[in-house]
Amino acid sequence: MSEDRQKTRDGEVEEFAEEQASLWRITLSPLAWAAHFVICYGLVALSCAKGLPVESVRQGLIVFSVVVLALIGWIGWRAWRQWDVRETGDYLNQQGKAEDRHRFLGHAAFLLSIISFIGVVFVSLPLLLLEGCG
Amino acid sequence: MSRDRDQKPVMPRPSGTFPPSEAMLAEPVPDEVQRVQQERLRKAWATPKGWRYWSAVNNSEVGVWYSTTALFFMLAAGVMALLIRLQLAVPENDLIPADRFNQLFTMHGSAMMFLFAVPMFEAISIIILPALLGARDMPFPRLSAFGYWSFLIGGVFVIGSILFDAAPNSGWFMYPPLATKAEGVGSDIWLLGLSFIEIASIAAAVELIVGTLKCRPPGMRVNIMPLYAWYVMVVGGMILFAFPPLIAGDFLFELERSFDWPFFDPERGGDPMLWQHLFWIFGHPEVYIVFLPSIAIAAMIIPTVARRPIVGYSWIVLSAVGTGFLSFGLWVHHMFTTGLPSISLGFFSAASEAVVIPTGIQLFAFLATLMIGRVTMTLPMLWIAGALAVFTMGGLTGVMLAMAPFDFQAHDSYFVVAHLHYTLFGGMIFPVIAGVYYFYPFIRKKKLSERLGRWSFWLIFVGFNVTFLPMHLTGLKGMPRRIYTYPEGIGWDWLNMISTIGAFVIAAGFAVFVWDLFRPKRGQGQVARNPWQAGTLEWSHEIPEEAWGVRSIPHVTSRYPLWDQPQIVERMDAGRYYLPDAEEGKRETLITSVIDAEPLQVQRVTGPAWITHAAAIFTGGTFIFPTFHVYPPAIVCGVLAVACILYWLWTSTARPPEADSKDVGLGLRLPTYASGPASAGWWAMWITMLGDATAFASVIFGFFFYWTARPDFPPDGAAHAEPLLVAIAAGAMAASWALTLWARGANRRGAVSLARGALVAAPLLAGVGGIGLIGSVWTLEPTSHVYPAILWALAIWVVVHTGVGVIMQVYCLAGSIFGKMTPRYDADIWNVSLFWHFHVLSAVVACAVMGFAPGVL
Repeated sequence: MSEDRQKTRDGEVEEFAEEQASLWRITLSPLAWAAHFVICYGLVALSCAKGLPVESVRQGLIVFSVVVLALIGWIGWRAWRQWDVRETGDYLNQQGKAEDRHRFLGHAAFLLSIISFIGVVFVSLPLLLLEGCG
Repeated sequence: MSRDRDQKPVMPRPSGTFPPSEAMLAEPVPDEVQRVQQERLRKAWATPKGWRYWSAVNNSEVGVWYSTTALFFMLAAGVMALLIRLQLAVPENDLIPADRFNQLFTMHGSAMMFLFAVPMFEAISIIILPALLGARDMPFPRLSAFGYWSFLIGGVFVIGSILFDAAPNSGWFMYPPLATKAEGVGSDIWLLGLSFIEIASIAAAVELIVGTLKCRPPGMRVNIMPLYAWYVMVVGGMILFAFPPLIAGDFLFELERSFDWPFFDPERGGDPMLWQHLFWIFGHPEVYIVFLPSIAIAAMIIPTVARRPIVGYSWIVLSAVGTGFLSFGLWVHHMFTTGLPSISLGFFSAASEAVVIPTGIQLFAFLATLMIGRVTMTLPMLWIAGALAVFTMGGLTGVMLAMAPFDFQAHDSYFVVAHLHYTLFGGMIFPVIAGVYYFYPFIRKKKLSERLGRWSFWLIFVGFNVTFLPMHLTGLKGMPRRIYTYPEGIGWDWLNMISTIGAFVIAAGFAVFVWDLFRPKRGQGQVARNPWQAGTLEWSHEIPEEAWGVRSIPHVTSRYPLWDQPQIVERMDAGRYYLPDAEEGKRETLITSVIDAEPLQVQRVTGPAWITHAAAIFTGGTFIFPTFHVYPPAIVCGVLAVACILYWLWTSTARPPEADSKDVGLGLRLPTYASGPASAGWWAMWITMLGDATAFASVIFGFFFYWTARPDFPPDGAAHAEPLLVAIAAGAMAASWALTLWARGANRRGAVSLARGALVAAPLLAGVGGIGLIGSVWTLEPTSHVYPAILWALAIWVVVHTGVGVIMQVYCLAGSIFGKMTPRYDADIWNVSLFWHFHVLSAVVACAVMGFAPGVL
C-alpha cells in the first residue's frame, strides 16, 4: 500500500516538481511594477532637480512603461498556462495535491499579473497627462 | 586535529514513508503507550510554576503577556485621547497647557502605532499561528520572549515619559527642524525608545515568517494553508522592508540630536525632506502592516460563521500580496504639499488609487462568502460587520485624499484625522476585537459574555461615529489638527463638543469590553472544544489546557481539516500522527519544506530561561542611557547584552544532538540537525539580513538624496575620505569574507585545523578593514557639513557590522575548539557566512560610494 503511494508521489514529483523559488515567482509581476515605479519616480525627480531634459526623459519612460507592460503580460500569460483552468475546469485548486498547488501558484501569479498590469497603467498615466516639473 | 581529516560527514536524509497511508493512520495506539507518551510530553512542555512562571517562553504564555501589555498601552493612549478631547470640547479652554497638549497628541499617535497596533499583530500571531499550523511552538521561543521583554521595557520607558512631563512633543512623525530643535529629552526618548521596540518587532517578524514557511504541518502545501498564514507572511515581509528605513532615519536623527551632525539642518547642507521620505517609506506601509493582519482575522471568522469555505482563496492571496507591494508606492501622498514636481505627485496619486483595487477585492470576497453561506450573526461576526462598514467609509475618504488637489485643501485638517481614524478603527480595532471574542475560548478556555459584548459593540460603534463623522465637517470648515485650542464663533464649537461626547461613549464601550475580558469567570465551567464549529486546526486545542500545543502533529490534506478530515482530532489526541512522544525529554517541533510541507527535520526548541530577561534588560540599557546623554553605562550595558546573547546562543542553539536522526512516527525517520538552507536558523539569518540590508540601503539612499536635492553636495573644496584607506578597507573586508567562506568548506571537508586557522586570520583582517575605514574619515569634521557627516555615518554603520561579524567568526572558532561545531554539525558557520555575504556587499558598496563619489559627483 505504502509503496503504491510512494509511486504516485514520485509521479507527482516528476510532473509538478517545484523548487523553493516558485513561491518567489508569484511576486515577479509585482516586482516589475515596483521596479517601474522606482525608476519612473527616481528619473523624474533626478531630472527635475538636476535640470536634465524632462521632456525626453518623459518620452523615454513612456516607452519603458510599454516594455514593462509587455513583460508583465508575458509573465501573466505563462501563469495562465500554469493555472490551466480551461483544461482542468478547476477554479479552486483546494486539494492537498501537488497538482493543485502547482495550478494554485499559477492562478495567484496570474491574478497578481493583472493587478500589476493595472498598477503600471495607473502609474504611467501621469507621464501621459502631465508635463514638466512645475 | 588530523583525526577529522578526510572524514567527510554523512548527512542523514528523511527516510521511510510519506505521506502516511489510511491503513497506517487507522491503526490504534495502545492505551498504555498513549499514557506514557503523554506523561513524557507533558513533562517536557510543563510551564514553570510559582515565580518561575515568568521564565516561561511557551508561545501561549508569551503571546498572552504580549497582547495584554499592548492592550494596556492602548488603554493608556486612549486616556490621552480623552484628555485631548476634553481640552477641545469648548473654545478657549485652559484645561491643559499647550506643551502638555503637544505631548499628549504626540504620545497618543506614537503609542497607538508603535506600542499597540504592530505589537498586537505580533502578539496575536504568536498565540494563534502555531495552533493554526498544528505546530508545538514558534521555531525560536526564546526570541519571542526576548522580544516581549524588550517591548515591555521600551514601552514603559516611552509611555511613562508623559508622567514626568518629558514626553516627545513634535507630533508622531517627528518632523525636523521642530523635532531636532525641540528642547528636553522628549525627541530622544521617541527615537531611542522606539528604535529599541522596532528591533524587537523585526525579531518577531523574522520568527513569524520562518514559522509560516518552515513549521507547517506535513502535507499543508501553500495552496491549503490558512489565509491567516498568508497574511502573516506578507506582513512579516512588509515589516522587513518598512521598518529599516525608519531605523536608518532614527540613526541619522539621533546623531544630529546627540552630536550635532547636520543631516536635517539646511544651513549646513542637510535637508529635512530626507526625514519625511524615510519616515513615510516606513509610515505608509505601516498602515497596511496594521490593517492586513487584522483583516486576516476576518478571513478566519467569516468562513466559520458562513459555514462554508472562503470564496476566492486565490483572490484573497492576490489581494494580500498585491496590497503588500502597492503599499510601498504611496508614501509621498503624505507629502503632497511639500512642493515636489507635479509628475512625481502624479505617480503617488496613481499608486494610491491603484491600491484600492486589491483592498476592495478581499472585502468583496468576504461579502461573497457571507452571501452564499448560511450566516449566523454571532458576536465576532457583529464586530466584523462593524469593521467592514467603518473601514469602507475610511477607504472612500482615502480615495478622495489620494487626489493631490483635494489633499492640498484638506491637508493637516481634521478631515485627515477623521479619515485615518475610520481606516484604523475599521481596519484594525473592530476586527481585532472580533478576533478577541472569536479566539477567547481558544486562549482562555472560557467564553466572553454575549450580552456585554453586544453592549460594548453598540457603544463603541455609535460612539465612534459620533466622534469621527462630524470631524470630516470640522476639517472642511478649516480646523487644523494639533491645535490646542480655538477661538469662539467660527463654527467649530458644537462639532467639537459632539466629538468629545462621542469619545466618552467609545470609552464606555471599552470599559465594558475590558471588564468582560478580565472579570472572574469561575462559575462558567468548561467551554466546548470547538464552540464555533470552525474548520481550522487551532480548534483541535485541548480542554483542559495542555502546554504541548498539539498532542501529535497531524498530516493535513485540506484547507479546513476539521471539516474535511473527519477523524483528524481523534487521531491527533491518540498520538497517531507525528512526534507523539518526547523520549529525550526535550521540546521538539517539525520542520517541513517551504512549498509542499514535506517533513525534513525534527527541530529542538528552547525551554524556559532567565537569560532572555537579562539580555532584554541590558539591551534596554544600551538604548535608554544615551537618551540622557550618559554613554559609559550604555557601553557597559551593550557589552553585557552581547555577552548574554552569546551565552544564550552557545548553550541552547544548534547543539550537536544525541543521535543523528530519530523516528517521528508513522514509519518516518527524520534528521535531528540541519545546517545551511535546510535549517530554520539559516532562514532566520537570511530574513534578518534582508531587513538589515534595507536599512543600509536607506542610508545610501540618503547620500544620493543629498546629491540630488542639494547643489552644495559635496561642497566645493570639501575634504574627501582618504581613497587609499578606503581601498584597503574594502580589500581587507573582502579577504575576511573569503576566508570565512573557505573555512566553512574546509570544516565540512574535515580539514578542521585549516578552518580554525582561517577563522583566526579572518577577524584580524576584518579588524584591519574596520580601522582602515574609520581612518579614512578620521580627519573629516562631521559637524561642519552634511557631506563629512554622511561619510562618517556610513563608516560607523559598516564598522559596527564588522564588529558583529568578528564576534561571529570568533564564536565559530570557539565552537570548533570546544566541540560545539564539527564537520557534521556546522550550522553556526553556515549562518555566519550568510551574514558575511551581506556584510561584504554593504562594505563594498559603502567603500565604493565613499571612494568614488568625489570623482564621479
